[in-house]
Amino acid sequence: MASSTKTHRQRAPWPLIAAAFASAALFSGPLVYLVVRNLPGDASVNVAAAQIVTPLRNSLILATAVAGAATVLGTLAAWLVARTDLPAVSLWRVLLPLPLVIPSFIGAFVLLAAFAPGGLLEAVLRPLGLSGLGQTRGFAGSFIVLTLFTYPYVYLPAQARFRQLPPSLEESARLLGRRPVATFFTVVLPQARSAILAGTLLVFLYAVGDFGAVQLLRYNTLTRAIYTTRLFDRPVSLALSLLLAVVALAVVAAERALAGRRTFEMPRGVRPLRHHLGRWRASAAAFLTLLVGLSLAVPVGVLVWWSARGIVRGSTGGADLVSALSSVARPALNTSLASIAAAVGAIVLVAPIAYLTARYRSRVGDAANAVVVGGFALPGLALALALAVVTLGAPSPIGRLYQTLPLLVFAYVVHFGAHALRTSQVAVAGVPRAVEDAARVLGAAGVARFVRVDLPLMAPGLLAGAGLVLLSSMKELPASLLLAPAGFQTLAMKIWGATESAMFADAGLASLVLILVSGVLTWALVIRRGEAFV
Amino acid sequence: MLRRSFAGPIVVVVLAAVVGGCGADRDALTIYSGRDEALVGPLLERFSEETGIPIDVRYGDSADLAVLLAEEGENTPADVFFSQTPGAVGYLDEQGLLAELPRDLLGKVDPKFEASDGRWIGLTARQRVLVYNEKIVDEADLPESVFDLTQPQYAGEVALAPSNGSFQDFVSAMALIEGEDVAQRWLDAMAAGGAPTYADNNSIVDAVARGEVAMGLANHYYNYRFLEEDPLLPSRNYVFPDGDIGALLIASTVSVVESSEATENAQKFVEFLLEEEAQNYFAEETFEYPLASGVAPSPELPPLDMQSAPDFDIDRLGAELERTTKMIAESGLLD
Repeated sequence: MASSTKTHRQRAPWPLIAAAFASAALFSGPLVYLVVRNLPGDASVNVAAAQIVTPLRNSLILATAVAGAATVLGTLAAWLVARTDLPAVSLWRVLLPLPLVIPSFIGAFVLLAAFAPGGLLEAVLRPLGLSGLGQTRGFAGSFIVLTLFTYPYVYLPAQARFRQLPPSLEESARLLGRRPVATFFTVVLPQARSAILAGTLLVFLYAVGDFGAVQLLRYNTLTRAIYTTRLFDRPVSLALSLLLAVVALAVVAAERALAGRRTFEMPRGVRPLRHHLGRWRASAAAFLTLLVGLSLAVPVGVLVWWSARGIVRGSTGGADLVSALSSVARPALNTSLASIAAAVGAIVLVAPIAYLTARYRSRVGDAANAVVVGGFALPGLALALALAVVTLGAPSPIGRLYQTLPLLVFAYVVHFGAHALRTSQVAVAGVPRAVEDAARVLGAAGVARFVRVDLPLMAPGLLAGAGLVLLSSMKELPASLLLAPAGFQTLAMKIWGATESAMFADAGLASLVLILVSGVLTWALVIRRGEAFV
Repeated sequence: MLRRSFAGPIVVVVLAAVVGGCGADRDALTIYSGRDEALVGPLLERFSEETGIPIDVRYGDSADLAVLLAEEGENTPADVFFSQTPGAVGYLDEQGLLAELPRDLLGKVDPKFEASDGRWIGLTARQRVLVYNEKIVDEADLPESVFDLTQPQYAGEVALAPSNGSFQDFVSAMALIEGEDVAQRWLDAMAAGGAPTYADNNSIVDAVARGEVAMGLANHYYNYRFLEEDPLLPSRNYVFPDGDIGALLIASTVSVVESSEATENAQKFVEFLLEEEAQNYFAEETFEYPLASGVAPSPELPPLDMQSAPDFDIDRLGAELERTTKMIAESGLLD
């Protein structure tokens, strides 16, 4: 039953290798730039051990802890939504991915406003004689904020996988007397392992590369060291950026080894088993309420409070809601355009790499995989500078791309291609060889077979990947600031500008619009579409 | 199948828009602005309307934009660099990327707020202040000098933003005036006393207003912005008296990029920013002290007493920043 879908006997067809190679070459630009800039020149870089050891250790501890916690939360939420008779499932399916869209710089700020000493929570609790939560800074604060805003990286692929698992194994286990919890750990979880680990990897890379949260919450990580040295100690800043990329590549390799080669056939057209939660129904709903409450409702609450305060006092630039909203309309459209293009571009560009790595053993495939995933851990600033230097130095057709929309979209693709890659690999691996073989026997050849047989089977996984790229691109800030065409403002840029000027009403409104637009796009392009195939 | 027809057209429209949407206005004046769109956007648009010169503006963090401009080098599309702090512009000046400004423009501002080589000019001044929460701290208990903050009664009570450009400028000035070891000792003592650190001026004013920390060192205008959003906040500004270095004045600056092919328009832009209209705008909208055209600051601000403000040439800050960042790192404030 559980046969491997991967055959090592066959060599990959050369057009596939060539396509994967070309795609990887596009992705490799920023890494190559970092390596070249770090080649010892006249003066070799003098990085004090203290400048590296503590930040590196902190980065690793934080990213590991966040990845672990986000994996547990994301997997549990995915299982509840996909496999149980949870109340209001459709609502959870729209809400659970959304925290991903809250930029960590605004997420951390908002949670501080809510929970820090003297914050809104304390204002609510004080009449009841209770005090706030005390210190919310350093490791604990960064850990909580990053976990709350990254669990969707695990939730999305895990949920897609849970929905596809055949019920037969579980039914057998149940019939043989296994309790539901035991069934989950021994039967369900192993089948979803590769999908879950794909998400865990993304969480780790996000956490290790995050700057917004650790800067606001004061935790001394590599990204902060890169930031503080960027202007007056560029060699150190570049060296630390390269170190971050090396950490990312090591983790990518580890994940490839851990995920293993065991994947499972997924017969189509069979509804997954739905467990009756029974007396656990209320607890499950309470857990999801708490999760969505902290990661979405509290931030939205604070943002609404800022906006409402501004509207009441008339302090939002144009003094009324309508003009404030109209100033957000253009950035909202820009953000949607660029992010949708990035999502589509990422899926298309990583497809050959996903196919090659999931179906064949190939050195080119492994290298391409590493290059794509490494792009995610690079700080956005380093990535943007690299693309600026590379395009400016290139001859005319490429040189003219500098500070145009296609280059910005390309930056998103390079930065977030990893989201699409791992979920695509999982999706490709999920297409049983037997189905393809049957199609081949029945005469469906090449492209037709791909479109009519493989693609529909892969669609939920691909859409989950596209959704991740979409949501991440919508909140991207550092590369957008440096690479967006002049005058092309995204919502994240607008929010950043407003918070920098302490215009909280404007920041609140723009953030709410960002969350709303993301919700609508996720629903229209990912959830609805995904539904059509399951 | 109906569902399928929904996303397809969206994707096609998006791709068409992306492919068609490239190509900025090549004749426009390109401005790299370290000042936020929310604050200066309307002013820049007014310039464009009045002069008919089209503008392309890139907003971002001053230091990030300086790094970008340095990487772009000769190929930069930037004509004008608009900086929050003397530090970022000083960095570009050292790289030889800025053009000398005409004498008549330089003459409009006190030489204290200009580069000695005439390659950048100050537009507005910001003062370093001690922000305090009036519910926690009695104004009478505030110290006479920023050096008093190392005394035991203030230990752990004063918030700092060690990776912030304005704080670094202040430390540089302290090192230049009082000597490097005095500045290092002050930093070490603040760190040893457990001064809480924050990301930037905003976070400090926010924390003081919430009562998380009693006091903090910041630039003066942040608190006015916060009070604009919520007039009930208990945060207040305190200016160290008698020329104390804690009341240092720093400037936001503008410069023309050396490789610009639109030098004339770029200079028109600089001139526009120094004229009464723009200086008034800064005074009213951003709560900063106008440096040119004799424009008075906002009535909400205490008058700027140039006599008692520390006498210091901020041009010297640029060269100091590298050493300052090392001193701050050594104090342990960044950990």
